[in-house]
Amino acid sequence: MINPHLILAQKTEIKGFIDVRTWYDKEKEKLSFGLGEQDLFITSTLSDRFSFLGETVFKYDASSTTKFSVSIERIVLKYNVGGNHNILLGKHHTPLNYWNDTYHHGRLFFPTIDRPLLFSSEIIPIHTTGIDFQGHDLGSLRFGYDLMFGNGLASDDVVDNDAHKSITAAVHIKPANNLRIGASFYNDIISAGSTVHGEVHPHQVDQHQYSASIAYFGKKFELLTEGALVTNKTDSTGTKQTISTYIYGGYKLNEKLTLYFRLDQQQFEEGEVYFHPDDATLLLLGSRCQINYLTVVKLEYQYKEDQPGGEDSPARFQNLITAQVAIGF
Amino acid sequence: MMNTIPRIGQLYSLQVVKHLVILIAMLLATIVHGQNSPLTIISNPKGCPTEMKESELKSIFLGERQRWRTGDKIQVALMKTNTSIGKNTCGRMYNMTEDELKKYWLALVFQGKAEAPAFFNTVGELQNFVSENPGAIGIIDQSPTVSGIQVVSIDGKQTL
Repeated sequence: MINPHLILAQKTEIKGFIDVRTWYDKEKEKLSFGLGEQDLFITSTLSDRFSFLGETVFKYDASSTTKFSVSIERIVLKYNVGGNHNILLGKHHTPLNYWNDTYHHGRLFFPTIDRPLLFSSEIIPIHTTGIDFQGHDLGSLRFGYDLMFGNGLASDDVVDNDAHKSITAAVHIKPANNLRIGASFYNDIISAGSTVHGEVHPHQVDQHQYSASIAYFGKKFELLTEGALVTNKTDSTGTKQTISTYIYGGYKLNEKLTLYFRLDQQQFEEGEVYFHPDDATLLLLGSRCQINYLTVVKLEYQYKEDQPGGEDSPARFQNLITAQVAIGF
Repeated sequence: MMNTIPRIGQLYSLQVVKHLVILIAMLLATIVHGQNSPLTIISNPKGCPTEMKESELKSIFLGERQRWRTGDKIQVALMKTNTSIGKNTCGRMYNMTEDELKKYWLALVFQGKAEAPAFFNTVGELQNFVSENPGAIGIIDQSPTVSGIQVVSIDGKQTL
């Protein structure tokens, strides 16, 4: 017999997010249609103090025989210690600043069609499997913190590849309504011979990341800016710096329609061996129409200029016009 | 005869129009009353204090606090945003439209930062939920009619 009280205690909700898009590439002179990620999101209240969150993404994968793959993006078991203090165990989105900790995979919530270069260029370690000590909305400044220990880069979701643990420390305050100011730090040691982002790194890399963010989403104006300074140190190349920033601004014409821009810049120091050096500038101009809380349509013009081979390589230009419909269900 | 038939028709039409006007006026009065009537904060006696500041109340309804000082888990109960009390709550408590409120909570839940409020169709259902769940707090537009509920005064006032 199933205890009916146990059924009542477990409140489970399932949500989904998906986006479809069409874009015109001026350089290639072609129009394309494409599917985005299908994001399945589950939350469950297990008891008075335990809760669960899972996020699974189904997406296009050229290497798969079915051309689609399934990836576990988040599995988080949360225990409320007391007040607003929690311990979270599992696979997380690394709580580095605003975007990575706020939007996750639901395109419905993104203020622009895609992530900033800071994330899409794999500079930020998007995921960490480990333990997070978290607090939020403490005191009059609504202070929040995260202290996370994880397997780190080059590890997979089930086992660490070496003895080093990644450390993430992040703090933020919310001094006024709709305003959040944050700073974070990340450190990891990538062992010699590790494979990260499909590439073997023959030397040990000692990585430090320092980042800061300001986010304001008001009734009329929106501002989001983040910057990260990353140092990668190896015995053979010494310390190399990478800087990546973006600024997003939005103006709400009315309840439904927002006009926006985003400017991204990233710069890699000569001799960088861990990242794929790709100095880039990206400018977006777009409009976002919030049909209702579960449907948003975005139309965006993107100009990108980059040097994928480093400073000495020829520059590449890209002009795209993209339309996207993102929904929640 | 030819002259009287239109008169009767006109009188009949006039009556229909009168009734329609009265009905619309009553409907509008109900909507306006629902959207502007004072809001009463009710809670389960376990966990929630009997009085608090408005800033503290807003923080609770924004999902910024997980537990009461007693340690009881806070459970927010709201009327659905398509009800007149729900619309009133969106504007006065949250300063948001109905869609903004729903997206706010969806985003918060998606981030894993809070549990979604319980939404109800009727004041009776909301009151029953609050009376049955320690730590529950909700908003209605009348004095509570169910036992096991307390009214929470905000900045010394019984209504918002």
